[in-house]
Amino acid sequence: MAIELRPLEQFTIERIIPIHIGGLDLSYTNAALMMTIAVVSVTALMVIATRSAALVPGRWQSVAEMLYEFVADMVDSNIGQGGRQFFPFIFTLFAFILFANLLGMIPYSYTTTSQIIVTFALAAVVFILVTTIGIIRHGFHFLGLFVPHGVPKVLLLLLVPIELLSYFIRPFTLSIRLFANMLAGHTMLAIFGGFAASVGIFAFFPAAINVLLVGLEFLVAVLQAYVFAILTCLYLSEAIHLH
Amino acid sequence: MSERGPPDPLARLGERIDKARAERIRSQPTASDRSALQQGMGFGFRIGIELVVAIGVATALGWAIDHWLGTRPWGIIVLFFLGVAAGMLNVYRAVSGISTPAGYRRPGQDGAGIRQGQGAWDDDEN
Repeated sequence: MAIELRPLEQFTIERIIPIHIGGLDLSYTNAALMMTIAVVSVTALMVIATRSAALVPGRWQSVAEMLYEFVADMVDSNIGQGGRQFFPFIFTLFAFILFANLLGMIPYSYTTTSQIIVTFALAAVVFILVTTIGIIRHGFHFLGLFVPHGVPKVLLLLLVPIELLSYFIRPFTLSIRLFANMLAGHTMLAIFGGFAASVGIFAFFPAAINVLLVGLEFLVAVLQAYVFAILTCLYLSEAIHLH
Repeated sequence: MSERGPPDPLARLGERIDKARAERIRSQPTASDRSALQQGMGFGFRIGIELVVAIGVATALGWAIDHWLGTRPWGIIVLFFLGVAAGMLNVYRAVSGISTPAGYRRPGQDGAGIRQGQGAWDDDEN
């Protein structure tokens, strides 16, 4: 008997977690549920950790402090001066993506960040924020970003479009990187899991590979959250410290 | 206990704090090694997709422009090459230093707060 391999089935909206709340146009899907869980668990972690804040931190408090210090370090070393005012934004972004990715690793849950629309919405927020801050801080001078100095006028005709393009491509690279990594990773897990289920006695090999892949996926989940946050930091720092 | 014996408990505490602090500074490299590795990996994952997406998006944009303005096939041709250039530029910038995200500031040139922050980071690593 052949077991049907449907590695992409896990990404269907509304079907995986059979909890439907409302079937309207704006229906509350499993993706939205996972996002809610991510937000609630981040909030819960921070609230629980700081409720009984002690000088010598307990377990939860040290987790929260590690998370805080990690992001604070990232903001300080990548934005530098004037970066701290963006700390709440970066922290929220990082914590949300991290939790969404990691929650997706729980079997039978749903990986919200494997939906391009979710990651693109996040990237668009970053892009709009960075552009707005650049324009507010530097006004018209911000457009100087697209005009390299010390280049012959003729070459500007070529270079300005390239600069513009490389700037406007950012939300796409930012979102596609996260989305593609999560999608590919989870598809791969499902494929090897499907192999293991269908080859009977030889199931050990695909299962062993899957064990390794799960480890890799955890790495990717954390790393992609980190990459997203650090790129946001770099873009912000560029908009702030424009020359 | 030092050979002289500090006069009061407060000074002794100060000495212990200094010792602990020195210990912490000595143990710093392992922590920053890990962060360097992490940074490197994040970096690798980051640039992998840069070129592909730039070309894809630019080509799609060219196709759309052709569709609207009826300039087929020029939009797609021009924007494909611009996309290649933009993608390479992004990769080049990413590779030539995580500290030069964009713009034409070279590592040697004067920079704003980033360079300062970056310098502090480097000092930590060494």
